[in-house]
Amino acid sequence: MNHAMTTQQLTALLPLILATLTTVVVMLTIAFKRQHRLVAAMTVIGLNLALLSLGPVLLAANGEPIELTPLLIVDGYAIFYMGLLLVTALGVLTLCHAYFEGYAGNREELYLLLAMATLGALVMACSRHFASFFIGLELLSIPLYAMVAYPVRDSRALEGGMKYLVLSGAASAFMLFGIALLYAETGALGFAEIAAKLSAGRPGILLAGAAMILSGVAFKLSAVPFHLWTSDVYEAAPAPVSAFLATVSKAAMFVVVYRLFVNIGLFRHPLALDALTWVAVASMVVGNLLALRQDNVKRILAYSSIAQFGYLLVALVASGGRATEAAGIFLLTYIVTALGVFGVMTLVSSPMKDRDVEHIEQLRGLFWKRPYLSSIMTTMLLSLAGIPLTAGFVGKFYLISVGVDTRQWLLMGAVVAGSAIGLYYYLRVMIMMFQPIPVRERVSEPLNWVQQSGGAMLMAAMALVLVLGVYPEPFLQLIRSATLALR
Amino acid sequence: MDLTFYIAATIALFATIMVVINTNPVHALLYLVLSLLSVATVFFTLGAHFAAALEVIVYAGAIMVLFVFVVMMLNLGAKTEDQERRWLSAPAMVLPAALSAVLLWQLGTQLWPRGYITAAGLQEVTPKMVGIALYGPYLLAVELASMLLLAGLVAAYHLGRHDD
Repeated sequence: MNHAMTTQQLTALLPLILATLTTVVVMLTIAFKRQHRLVAAMTVIGLNLALLSLGPVLLAANGEPIELTPLLIVDGYAIFYMGLLLVTALGVLTLCHAYFEGYAGNREELYLLLAMATLGALVMACSRHFASFFIGLELLSIPLYAMVAYPVRDSRALEGGMKYLVLSGAASAFMLFGIALLYAETGALGFAEIAAKLSAGRPGILLAGAAMILSGVAFKLSAVPFHLWTSDVYEAAPAPVSAFLATVSKAAMFVVVYRLFVNIGLFRHPLALDALTWVAVASMVVGNLLALRQDNVKRILAYSSIAQFGYLLVALVASGGRATEAAGIFLLTYIVTALGVFGVMTLVSSPMKDRDVEHIEQLRGLFWKRPYLSSIMTTMLLSLAGIPLTAGFVGKFYLISVGVDTRQWLLMGAVVAGSAIGLYYYLRVMIMMFQPIPVRERVSEPLNWVQQSGGAMLMAAMALVLVLGVYPEPFLQLIRSATLALR
Repeated sequence: MDLTFYIAATIALFATIMVVINTNPVHALLYLVLSLLSVATVFFTLGAHFAAALEVIVYAGAIMVLFVFVVMMLNLGAKTEDQERRWLSAPAMVLPAALSAVLLWQLGTQLWPRGYITAAGLQEVTPKMVGIALYGPYLLAVELASMLLLAGLVAAYHLGRHDD
């Protein structure tokens, strides 16, 4: 067999190559000169180049999927999500710069870790083989352990990092065991190859393997009952790292799992779908209920992200057909919104101090001090709650229409109940920001954050949330044409 | 060949349980070495000789010895020397040593008459086949694994530093 790469294949690899190159260049830069701004700029440039290289990839692909060895495939689906993941990672990067100015130790390694984690996410977006799936997952997870525990002298962050390391390691072990069981029965690791040989395997062992893989996946998506780490880790991690966990890490996992579901019929076995349905229902109900009595905003957001991914699992249960589109639009709206919410929490806490601003009382009267940030936060919270004219409404609308089409009444009931409960705690945070405070405290804080990249990113995110809510058609067209391959 | 597999697998299970229930870290590590050796024997019986050799050299050889050293070096001082002597007392080593001897005996009886082992698995996997697979279809996995190692290195460097 000839494994030489053609120009077309090398072009398709460009985003991955550029992300790798960014890592190497950033590492060398750190070795020569430790300067926060320089290193941050290098990383931003590198990831932007990777983002721009998606253009040539699109031209080279010309609507056809490009297969890169048995491991990776670059099709419209992969290109769309690689773009989404890169833009999100860039958004998190802009938050990091303002935030880590306040960190006393080495600030530069964070960018190195972030670039490597992004590379892992990109690999997951185009993997069609369990080997690349697993390596991509680990490449995403290992830098995250260090990112969660980045302020090493803060015992809370270290504890959070440790929790994530141990639990995520256990989840990876489960997944690996499941993959081994599938391999033992089919003798293949590629998604399509496994799908072709399913009939030869014993159903009991195949289902056990699928169950173990799903439990590993549910851990990464922090679905109930694998959610216990989420609130602790989100609370302990620096705010921009929580943003990365809630957006890139979860989205990359969902993207590859969706491909898995569409490709391998085993995961659409009635038993697997039943299990997934209950996991989704539990995530929506438990996630929303746990957030009700929380006073810590970061924990509220963690529970809210559990519930949001419960909603998204509706698309996974329905997988194929219009569900692909619904998953795309929901993921897009969720990522923009989550980035906005965590972005506001980051900028309120920037530059980094001993503890982030996180107790709900600390937000009291924020509107009178920082009106713009409060307005952005309000828009984002409304979007998370799924109020019309914001992006969240469009995402949820699509999910519900898919759920109704496929007659998932139990799930639909849970979505409605979950959204109703969710409104309470989103409004609670919002009301707190508009509480009156004594007039002498009503000073407007310096506005220089707007000129900074983090502020600009938040403004753009808010604009996007509103545009998506009012006129989603262009985005729908884009997602529709991008996800043709997996319909 | 089947018997070899079952004996080695039983030793692996027993040793791993001992790792989990042992409260003494050094004893647990001794059992972990044994567990890895018996897994290597299992690989050997399945025809994956290369994987078996790597298991012995990399896991039982390098990583476990490193673990034992680190655990013993963490608490330096005159007082701990006694403790180390107690850790490595003869009774603690009897069982792991005896079970390792069983593994060695198995290997010997398999190799004795002909000098090679026929695999219980479907086919023998030679080092050449491993190399061709790694640098053929799995080339990108090898490249990505190098980035994974780099990620681990950077993470360990950052978390392990305490002088800033």
